[in-house]
Amino acid sequence: MLNDLLVAFQAVATLENFLIMAAGIWGGVIIGAIPGMTGTMAVTLALPFTFYMQPIPSILLLVALYKGSTYGGSVSAILIKTPGTASAACTTLDGYPLAQQGKAGKALNMALYSSCTGDFISNLSLIFIAAPLALLALRIGPPEYFMLMIFALTTVAGVSGRSLLLGLVSACLGLLLATVGEDMYGSFRFDLTVDMQSGLAVAPVLIGLFAIPELLKIIVFRNNQNHKPMQLGDNHVTRDELRGSLKAMLKGSMIGVVMGAIPGIGPSAAAFSSYGEAQRSSKNRENFGKGELEGIAASESANNGCCGSTMIPLLALGVPGDVITGVMLGAFMIHGMTPGPMLFENNLHEVYMLFIGMLFSSVLLFGAGKATMRFFSHISRIPPGLMAPIVLALCVFGIFSISNSMYDVIVLLAMGVFGFFMFLFAIPAAPFLIAFILGPMLEENLRRALALSRGDPSILVSSPITWLFASLAIFVVVVTIRQQLKKANA
Amino acid sequence: MGITRGLVITALFGIVLFLLIPAYVPRPRFIPGFAPPPDMWPRTVSILGMVLGILLVGLTFSRKTEAIADPEDARSIRGDTPLATLLMRFGWTVLAFVLFIGSVMLLGFLLSSILLLVAMLILTGYWRHKVVAAIVAVALPLVLYLFFSSALNTRFPVGSLFKAIGI
Repeated sequence: MLNDLLVAFQAVATLENFLIMAAGIWGGVIIGAIPGMTGTMAVTLALPFTFYMQPIPSILLLVALYKGSTYGGSVSAILIKTPGTASAACTTLDGYPLAQQGKAGKALNMALYSSCTGDFISNLSLIFIAAPLALLALRIGPPEYFMLMIFALTTVAGVSGRSLLLGLVSACLGLLLATVGEDMYGSFRFDLTVDMQSGLAVAPVLIGLFAIPELLKIIVFRNNQNHKPMQLGDNHVTRDELRGSLKAMLKGSMIGVVMGAIPGIGPSAAAFSSYGEAQRSSKNRENFGKGELEGIAASESANNGCCGSTMIPLLALGVPGDVITGVMLGAFMIHGMTPGPMLFENNLHEVYMLFIGMLFSSVLLFGAGKATMRFFSHISRIPPGLMAPIVLALCVFGIFSISNSMYDVIVLLAMGVFGFFMFLFAIPAAPFLIAFILGPMLEENLRRALALSRGDPSILVSSPITWLFASLAIFVVVVTIRQQLKKANA
Repeated sequence: MGITRGLVITALFGIVLFLLIPAYVPRPRFIPGFAPPPDMWPRTVSILGMVLGILLVGLTFSRKTEAIADPEDARSIRGDTPLATLLMRFGWTVLAFVLFIGSVMLLGFLLSSILLLVAMLILTGYWRHKVVAAIVAVALPLVLYLFFSSALNTRFPVGSLFKAIGI
């Protein structure tokens, strides 16, 4: 294997490949940082260009775009509280408060270090544990999926905000909204208008929930009158801070690797689960949500930790885990390679070239992140009274461009107003969002499991894996209630 | 605020459970195999939401558990500004959103966006820097319009008014 990897290293280490990967990473970072533009969009737009390229450089370009956009999402999440991608939503919880404290540079640096660490570990896992993890993922059926998502939801509900109950209310609202549109058997639900039959897209809901309430807060409370321009400020992450966040970073990377390897779970759930775990086990748990570097480390290492491992089911089984790997599957097939067990037989050299290229792209991500940081930091100097309308314009144009539809813009603005009410009632937005993203899969797996068991709900606790996730969910609920009661009595 | 919030949440899930689901979630006459009906999941979530709302109301009555149900003080969010002023500012913003959506088909996406941006800059109080605000309000939508329509081939609505005068 080592010999094959060295041969692949020689083949990848060309100027042309480096330029392609650098362009992909830079393009991805910029696209990810623009609200409304997603990694999926970047990869899809680049796909036609790959028709004219060699197979491996074309896949490397798509992977680089994916990685760049996953990191880029954190830039706007930290600087303007508008996550560029769904997986960066968790980064806003601590990134934006740090930017408000004049520590935007520190937050961006921590996001970059964590993203690169998660990415590198994920790539190593792809190389060494692709096959065993793919086998484990195969054992996860509908009941296990359902319990895994219940665990992810309870973790998120427990840690974001000060009340578990309000977190659960938020999750219920998200689950309910996710039922709008066509269900798995073709029935339309809550189709008050014809447009609603297609359901609600993630991008307008995500951006509406996080970006628009900020504008409404500025307008309604007028709390921007004494604005001091934000600086990159305290730019460096000290050795102690890095050491303090290392545990969260490594744990987050592993959570990202495991959750990324399971088709359908994706980086958003990984980021929130990692954040929850970091908060649960941190000495500084009180500081989470107020500007804690460990929170950024946990979230960013997990979402980038998925980048490499989402390729595991694609390469080993031919099963794309999400939309982006679905597009990549198309790119593989365009170039005459069929992902799956036979890929390792027929195209082993190309597979190793891809592995090496992905390791290189982690290094390039670091360089691109450092180079763009100062450029993006100027954004945080714009006063909120001007910035919020600018963000609104970016969101409105970006969202319209996704599907050329005013319906999505209406959803964006309506979700903004809804998000503002959630803020007034102190209901945290993060559980809502993660429930909205996981909701369709949660329901689908529940209904599949019940159909398999002929309506017997005991199937949900019928295997050791379901027991494990159910126990973890109960553990999280009990620990959170105990902590909140202790805090209340103190 | 705990009781009000709990009641609002209970009422919201109650409306979904008793009014919206019966009206907008049809139950098919034939369901293949043992698949649960389409209203099973929304019903389950709504019932859970109602239970949580009732729990929120109940917990606020006990000093010991109040912190779980009501961790925030509404006054700290609102500040000292009178409620009427806050409601008026909120109302103007929502009105601007509604007018923007309504005007797109008539004035087109570009002009409506410019007007929306002007309204937002006035509402945030930034309009006192008139020159900068006016440049941003006009130039930003124009740049975004050109970028999205040329790079991504987005077809923005032109507006019936402009169509009528032949632009």
